[in-house]
Amino acid sequence: MTDEATKESTQTAETMIRLENLSKVFPAQDEPAVDDLSMDIYEGEIVVLVGPSGCGKTTTMKMINRLIEPSSGRIFLQGEDVTKVNSDKLRRRIGYVIQQIGLFPHMTIADNIATVPKMLGWDKERISDRTDELLETVGIDLSYRDRYPKELSGGQRQRIGVARAMAADPSVLLMDEPFGAIDPITRDRLQDEFLRLQREIKKTIVFVTHDIDEAIKMGDRIAILKQQSKIAQYDTPEKILTDPADDFVADFIGGGASIKRLSLSTVEDIEPADWPVASLTDSHERVQEKMQSSGKGYVLLLDDQNRPSRWVGAEDIERSDTSLEEAGRPAVAIVEASSSLYNTLDTMITSYKGSAIVVDEKGRYQGVVDFDTVLEAINAMRPEEQTRDRAKRDVQARDGGR
Amino acid sequence: MTSQTKISTDPQGTARLLRYLAMPIFLGLACLALYLYVSSQKLDSIEQRSLNPSAIIEQTGRLIELAGISTLIVVVLAVTTGILLTRPYTRRVTPFVIGLANIGQAVPSIGLLALFALTWGFGFWPAIVALVAYSFLSILRNTMVGLQQVDRSTIEAARGMGMTKLAVLFRIELPLAVPIILAGIRTALIINVGTATLVTFIGAGGLGEMINNAIRLDRTVVLITASGLTAILALFIDWLASVAEDILRPRGL
Repeated sequence: MTDEATKESTQTAETMIRLENLSKVFPAQDEPAVDDLSMDIYEGEIVVLVGPSGCGKTTTMKMINRLIEPSSGRIFLQGEDVTKVNSDKLRRRIGYVIQQIGLFPHMTIADNIATVPKMLGWDKERISDRTDELLETVGIDLSYRDRYPKELSGGQRQRIGVARAMAADPSVLLMDEPFGAIDPITRDRLQDEFLRLQREIKKTIVFVTHDIDEAIKMGDRIAILKQQSKIAQYDTPEKILTDPADDFVADFIGGGASIKRLSLSTVEDIEPADWPVASLTDSHERVQEKMQSSGKGYVLLLDDQNRPSRWVGAEDIERSDTSLEEAGRPAVAIVEASSSLYNTLDTMITSYKGSAIVVDEKGRYQGVVDFDTVLEAINAMRPEEQTRDRAKRDVQARDGGR
Repeated sequence: MTSQTKISTDPQGTARLLRYLAMPIFLGLACLALYLYVSSQKLDSIEQRSLNPSAIIEQTGRLIELAGISTLIVVVLAVTTGILLTRPYTRRVTPFVIGLANIGQAVPSIGLLALFALTWGFGFWPAIVALVAYSFLSILRNTMVGLQQVDRSTIEAARGMGMTKLAVLFRIELPLAVPIILAGIRTALIINVGTATLVTFIGAGGLGEMINNAIRLDRTVVLITASGLTAILALFIDWLASVAEDILRPRGL
């Protein structure tokens, strides 16, 4: 796993948010919406609250910034009891992103982002610098500064929503289904972008979703909630997938838990198979030689910039009348090194020879993976996981076994 | 009533300018036509007493005064009431207030004027009170609708970032409700110009008095002048309101 180190370190990091016996009973309702919830969220980790609709996950999140006042229990932020402090001031310390984004339509993008810094009384220059910095961070061109939200696409609005939440550099971000209303392709890209961003900014993030796949992708730890926000399991995605605490968790994960595990590792993590490669400009004899010495039936031809170009087999090379540029088949089934094993496997299944070509972000050849190499990696995951579980149990024992 | 003539946002400057200028040009021509018509007539002494610049200006001024002051008062009262009635803690009284405002508008204007005259006597201020009661609903309703149509998620985002309730009202809710509130104010203004011609019956003067006298004394020239001026004034005020709507609408909406 790539984030092994970070995940391990969050286990030992200090507690950023502590919820203590938190309950919420709405007026005119017999059953509490949230019943006696306690949990710790460590600094710098993404904790995903996931559960069926109506389980109280959003209510739980909104109690952290007290948009919903808890009926009983206490909330601690960086060790400080914030259950009774001024809630408006508290919220200015906590970033907040919602599904509908809620940009202010009558304010420019810059003014939207400046909302919290203005309330905190920053001077103009500092606000302006910070706005530019954030637009760059979320990948929006500076020329959008003075535009209005309606001129932006859904994905751009979501990015501005995130930028606005981070404006005053809060250490905690609350995100309520932030990618819920976005088309699947854009959502996937925004999720990737956000994870990349999080690696730099290392905020403590509480993320609410009803989508277990999103939870697995985004979460350092996942809290699976039953009705009334009762924690069914609170653990890393790997642990939840391999060792669900009860039937509720197993049902909620749904079928294909082992397949879902594959989305947690990237193709970078596995050793690519040794595959013969040659250049498009090589002679037919040289290519043939390479194929024979490797013992494989196919050779991958690369162009002058090292990008995969064509697959050629023995019979293609024997026909010396066709140039290498036209021989064989075009090289498809290409994945980037940062792709998950899940996506890689998917690409391999639909590919011609059951293998996928791995490239770097510039499209340059890195290696080839086939079913054998992936299977090997899957087998290798098991012992690795057990050691990690043991490490975590040690941490939990030290923390008083919560 | 022209409150529904929504002006499309036209990017072309010239088309926009033409649209802005068309109405004043038309009204100017109408004034000119009226003037030429009156000049061509031989006026008797009664007509001369009504149709001289100082009398016309005085009566027109009175009408503007009536419509202007009543609209100003009703804007303050109805917008404030509208804000209060959309707060969560007033949810129970809202239907009653709306019902009351409905009565104000449902009763025929002349009847309402008579009622107020009977209660408070004749004159300028009872007329103002009647005009306020009559146009209250259109602003109240638009204020409430304008505030209620503000996206809940926008308000939630604002609250979630730490804006106080008052800041949300003044920086988010009211600006976003401005276009709809302005449409209500425009309607109220037009209602008040129209109804203000009737207040002559409770002795508050204005162009309505000229019309009324002309009918009673059977002076067609005076009748045409006074009613023509009333129509021109009403259209001009509506035009002013439409320009104001365009200018005051927040950008980005």
